Amino acid sequence: MSSTDASGGASVRFADDVERSLYAKREKVYPREVHGVFAALRVTAVLVLLGLFYGVCWLRWDGKQLLLFDLPGRKFHVFGWTLFPQDFPYLTFMLIIAALSLFLFTAVAGRLFCGYACPQTVWTEVFLWLERKVEGDRQKQMKLDKSPWTGRKLLIKSSKHAIWIAFSLWTGFTFVGYFTPITELGSRLLALNLGPWETFWSLFYGFATYGNAGWMREQVCIYMCPYARFQSAMFDRDTLIISYDKGRGEPRGSRKKSLDHRSAGLGDCIDCTICVQVCPTGIDIREGLQYQCIACAACVDACDQVMERMNYPKGLIRYTSENAVGGAPARISRPRVVIYGVILLGLAAALGVSLALRTPLILDVIRDRNALYRETPEGLVENVYTLKIVNMDDADHDFSISVRGIEGVELLLDRAPVEVAGGEVLSIPVRLRVDPYSLENPSSRVVFELAAMDNPSLRVETKGRFLGPSVKQ
Amino acid sequence: MTTYKSIPRVQLVSAILWPSFLLAGIATSVFFTFLDPVRLFDYEGEAPLSRMAAYSLGFFLFWLLCAASSAASAYFLRPTDGGVYSANDSA
Repeated sequence: MSSTDASGGASVRFADDVERSLYAKREKVYPREVHGVFAALRVTAVLVLLGLFYGVCWLRWDGKQLLLFDLPGRKFHVFGWTLFPQDFPYLTFMLIIAALSLFLFTAVAGRLFCGYACPQTVWTEVFLWLERKVEGDRQKQMKLDKSPWTGRKLLIKSSKHAIWIAFSLWTGFTFVGYFTPITELGSRLLALNLGPWETFWSLFYGFATYGNAGWMREQVCIYMCPYARFQSAMFDRDTLIISYDKGRGEPRGSRKKSLDHRSAGLGDCIDCTICVQVCPTGIDIREGLQYQCIACAACVDACDQVMERMNYPKGLIRYTSENAVGGAPARISRPRVVIYGVILLGLAAALGVSLALRTPLILDVIRDRNALYRETPEGLVENVYTLKIVNMDDADHDFSISVRGIEGVELLLDRAPVEVAGGEVLSIPVRLRVDPYSLENPSSRVVFELAAMDNPSLRVETKGRFLGPSVKQ
Repeated sequence: MTTYKSIPRVQLVSAILWPSFLLAGIATSVFFTFLDPVRLFDYEGEAPLSRMAAYSLGFFLFWLLCAASSAASAYFLRPTDGGVYSANDSA
């Protein structure tokens, strides 16, 4: 994407800025607090998303944590579903669908995700809010940073970091609570008895939160976010972007409110630079579309307020598309959007169908490798197997096992029915006995069938081999 | 034009550590989906590592390997025309 389509002077100035920003040390961005429609939307998004993050892990369903990626137990509990490592394809599928949704969303609405829903934005908003509560507004923060170290500055700075660290630690604890049951984790925390790896990952995630939201901030978007770099592949001229209306704003300049600026040859931009001051990534939106722009609309809110004060119409900076700014008709449905949409619907349907058809039962048949076969005193041939039964259903079931494939095959197991609790794996040894005269080949196929006694539709078949002497030849 | 010399240190470090972090995450998930560490090490009853420990160590091992690869790429991307390649710590 071209970083700017500004004409002449502006692009030279912009190139200078790029040079300077590449060579200079990062200058800290002090985003000015902003109020308005989009700021309110963002605060709402932040509250909802953080509410979900800090809250959902405490919700329970049917006596189990509603959302728990139980890594130690190798089971994922997702809204009443229990997923096992064998269900890995579903998870991959879901991630692909999530990525495609992001593509579709980006093609239509640009970087709304970045400005309102990205964890980096969400946590940075909280950290900025905490910072403002402790250090004061933008002016006060800048003044404080410039001032020499005094007891007061030390107190303010250390309070800020203490609050940030406390919040980060809680965040890290919550994060780990999605991987080990959080109620147990909480009681162990209170007893100061966390496991070494739980402690480590709490601190690790807490540190990542503190570092990314407190220190790195917009640098994460600029240097680490892959989305910022490849978004241009998903954008087109109809994608919703935030744009400064150059035709209306230029030439910019300060003026008295009473001045008839049109007759004085000025555009609507009063060059107050508030749009730059509120920008969390520290860019000037008036220089054109830039990859650093996370479309948070802080500049839209800020500029609208200025326009209101000047009695100019709002929307000098607004959500629009390149076509709309250029006067071309805006289109929502276009090949790109239709293609993304069709693929997405297809994948979602495929996932839905395969989840609906999923049999939450696995039977693995492992033949004893120590002996090919043995002969019983009665002259029968016997093979030994281990059956691994994975009951992926949430309910406990009694199962019956049967076998077919060889005439007169007899199944011996030490228990019947076979009880397997919901979500459990059971290995049982079984023996098959066959009259050697019914064997056609030294190696025959047998089919084991496992069926829940209380639910005939919960059944699964697995093939195995039966080895014996070849008497018939 | 951007020259190699002008890459900020934070960008260089991020470019090595961050993609390798993501890839290590993917590699760890795929690896341990198919291999249960407890079964892998379970010779005689007691496993020497808990699953959490095995996952964590596995993750850091993958991260180290991926980061080594990224670092080697970054190293070989230095211009060969005698240009100086260093992250600028100061302006």
